[in-house]
Amino acid sequence: MKKVVTVRRQALAANDEQAATLRTRFAAAGALAVNLISSPGSGKTALLEATIRALGGRARCSVVEGDVATERDADRIRALGVPARQILTGGACHLDARQVARALDEDPALLPVDLLFVENVGNLICPTSYDLGEDFKVVVLSVTEGDDKPFKYPAIFSRAEVAVISKVDLLPHVPFDVGAVRREIGTLNPSGRVLLTSARTGEGLEAWCDLLLSELARKRGTPRRP
Amino acid sequence: MHEFSVATSVYQACREAVAGQPPGRIDRVRLRVGELSAVEPELIVFAWQAVTADTPDEGSTLEVDWCPATQECPRCGQVKQRLDRGWLPLCPDCGEVLKVTGGMDLEVVELTYETDDGGEGR
Repeated sequence: MKKVVTVRRQALAANDEQAATLRTRFAAAGALAVNLISSPGSGKTALLEATIRALGGRARCSVVEGDVATERDADRIRALGVPARQILTGGACHLDARQVARALDEDPALLPVDLLFVENVGNLICPTSYDLGEDFKVVVLSVTEGDDKPFKYPAIFSRAEVAVISKVDLLPHVPFDVGAVRREIGTLNPSGRVLLTSARTGEGLEAWCDLLLSELARKRGTPRRP
Repeated sequence: MHEFSVATSVYQACREAVAGQPPGRIDRVRLRVGELSAVEPELIVFAWQAVTADTPDEGSTLEVDWCPATQECPRCGQVKQRLDRGWLPLCPDCGEVLKVTGGMDLEVVELTYETDDGGEGR
């Protein structure tokens, strides 16, 4: 006989449960966890390198890197004296919470820190669905990718609390309407914050670091004075 | 293409939901998929077939309930008609910036389960 069984369960419930465990772990370590998502080549790793330099000694950082292949990104971070663990997905287009948990288990240098960055696999779609226990998602959009992306990839732009427009030093050379991008993000995510950065010139990095440090202080219940 | 991973997780949730049932097979599954869920309906159906192949549930059907996001005007308080999956930048009636709501769904709603004991039931 056939019967209807009510399920009422999130499709990614197993990942969500693992992500909840990670969230508890980050909270216990007093670390702010940030999940960076973008297409390949938008400058996520360059942003992280510049962030680490700009922060100087103001925060201890660690990085979990997601890529299909190679240790290149983790090597770049380690060259700055910051612990980094490379997750190789072997073809998979996103990181899931289980992989991040395993990275933390295997590398005790990743926690405790002040700021833990997860640099997701370069992809504007698939990483969107997977909660990694982060405090917030950051979408990075470089000016060379074009200003039409928020409406074309609404899932990530509606979820990311922060959008970083990167490579703004190239703005004089490419047709990219910052105002149009701000308007599209404003439509999809009215509370979303938009920052303009250049890892090359350092433009906007102070505002970005300030956002990270403020969110860290807020999480720890010790808000910074403006 | 992460639909295979999503389908694997959906299948796991379905099998857990029938864990207390007598032996049988899943016949159909209803999945709510939101426009902003980053899951493509045709791909998830295809992935479901692949995930359930060589299981007792091979040949079962994944039905997608598509849940579009809506755009509401905070000033008029009304849902505005969108153009074929496009986004309205501003309210066509009053020019206010519209708010996007809904469309985040990715939920297994229910399934139909067929027990092996034939048509008798209990």
